[in-house]
Amino acid sequence: MACVHDHSCEDHDCSSDFSLYKHVDLSKVSALNEAIPGSVKSVFRSWEQRLNSSEGHLESNEGDPELLVFIPFTSDVKIKSISVVGGADGTSPSKMRAFINREGIDFSDAQNMQPIQEWDLAENLQGVLEYQTKYSRFQGVGNLTLHFPDNFGGDATQIHYIGLKGEATQLKRDVVATIVYEIMPNPSDHKTKADGGGGLSHVE
Amino acid sequence: MVLEATMICVDNSEWMRNGDYSPTRFQAQADAVNLICGAKTQSNPENTVGVLTMAGKGVRVLVTPTSDLGKILACMHGLEVGGECNLAAGIQVAQLALKHRQNKKQQQRIIVFVGSPVKYDKKVLEMIGRKLKKNSVALDIVNFGEEDEGKSEKLEALLAAVNNNDSSHIVHVPSGSNALSDVLISTPIFTGDGEGGSGFAAAAAAAAAGGVSGFDFGVDPNLDPELALALRVSMEEERARQEAAAKKAAEEASKQEKGGEQPSASQDATMTENVSAAAPGAEDKTSDLMDDENALLQQALAMSMDDPAASVVTRDTDMSEAAAEDQDLALALQLSVQEGSKDQASQTDMSQLLADQSFVSSILASLPGVDPNDPSVKDLLASMQSQSESEKKDDEDKAPKEDSK
Repeated sequence: MACVHDHSCEDHDCSSDFSLYKHVDLSKVSALNEAIPGSVKSVFRSWEQRLNSSEGHLESNEGDPELLVFIPFTSDVKIKSISVVGGADGTSPSKMRAFINREGIDFSDAQNMQPIQEWDLAENLQGVLEYQTKYSRFQGVGNLTLHFPDNFGGDATQIHYIGLKGEATQLKRDVVATIVYEIMPNPSDHKTKADGGGGLSHVE
Repeated sequence: MVLEATMICVDNSEWMRNGDYSPTRFQAQADAVNLICGAKTQSNPENTVGVLTMAGKGVRVLVTPTSDLGKILACMHGLEVGGECNLAAGIQVAQLALKHRQNKKQQQRIIVFVGSPVKYDKKVLEMIGRKLKKNSVALDIVNFGEEDEGKSEKLEALLAAVNNNDSSHIVHVPSGSNALSDVLISTPIFTGDGEGGSGFAAAAAAAAAGGVSGFDFGVDPNLDPELALALRVSMEEERARQEAAAKKAAEEASKQEKGGEQPSASQDATMTENVSAAAPGAEDKTSDLMDDENALLQQALAMSMDDPAASVVTRDTDMSEAAAEDQDLALALQLSVQEGSKDQASQTDMSQLLADQSFVSSILASLPGVDPNDPSVKDLLASMQSQSESEKKDDEDKAPKEDSK
């Protein structure tokens, strides 16, 4: 099978490079505008299985080709390139826009925000094309959001496989779960141990 | 227990002054909103609920999604009725409010009360529905009040556009003597697709069916929610306890049919227990709460007058279930009753201990001033042992009987 790399695939195992699917937190993967809820989880497979979509594929709703895929990882990863296998008859996505480390993006956010990178995709039914990332921007990725705004003219957009190539670090990005902002902060509302006695600061 | 952020869209247009829902459409709506907020926050403590009004001067968000029930209840007070309802804008503002929720992990849901005629056409509503579906927002529609031609059709079209895997629902509430909140309790809007607020709903439904008018247990949940909750919980516990007692009594009664000896006095006692237990049992069995209210009332009257004839009729249902119950269990009960009457249980342990002569002699040796080799002590020990042996034989006769079951 022809590969974009200038070597033959028998020597160098491509499948081991596209191994970031193991670090995808499948239970938290979600997609917006998918026709069948939960079908997005089936697109993350190993490289050898990339054309085997017997367990289902991701399809958008009829008449609306937009898709938004949210991919959280179990540890921070560095993403080198992304491969996308679409569907036939114009149902392959034509553009891809990526956002990293942003949760809860919906369609209006995705359309208004500047993506960290965007690509024009070609119809890639055999899964041999991969799209390089600007590696320096994809260094500590805790979650990745892919927005596919358009396709090649089909009624709906189909995605059979998403492959991610890169490295996994063993670190987890520090996330503060909830932050409470105070409009008029008053230090005396927040007593610390130092206020009990000792400590240099004294607040009325 | 689905983690959800809900926005409730309240219709406070002029059409809400009408009195075909008691006391007014608006008041019925407010009661329903209070109940829904309670159910949502109870089913999951991290759920948040917000409220906005669609009429008046314009669409206005009264409270953004919060888990503070008091704030939500407070904002429903002092709402003015007037103006015209703007359904499309209301839903869109609700969607925006949900988009900016604090906890992005919550599912988004909008509950809209449509009491006035819908002036938008089907196409506009369908477009709104599709946009909601695209952003995975669920929509519940409560259709009440004005029965405009095409209103139901438009709302059904909106639901079809929004519905994704049965997460959205529509309820049509006709005007009548049933309160809006009572009708809503049994719908999936309340029960949250089968799980979640069902405990709350079941308790409220049982209380409503029991013929208590107005508030549950005579306590206004608005004024004293903790007391109402405590009363509700204790009622459920009492019901569970009575059902357990009823089952046991029914088993003992079925044992009596086989010819075991049972004091009739205890049976009467359990019958009165069973009578009151059958009442909530009968309530639970009736699926349609409203129609059987009269029958239930009569049954309650009969039971309160302690009429055994009526109670036997109700008990027969329980007994027929229990008759097919475990034979061994009945036998065990019988044995335990017999044993209790002879008061053997307390003696068996002691007699076994005493029979162990070595144990006894070791104790005696440790006592000062007692010589185990003394003949009188030996005689005493021998007599005790023979007595304990005869008791032991009785116990052994019983033990195989117990083991055989």
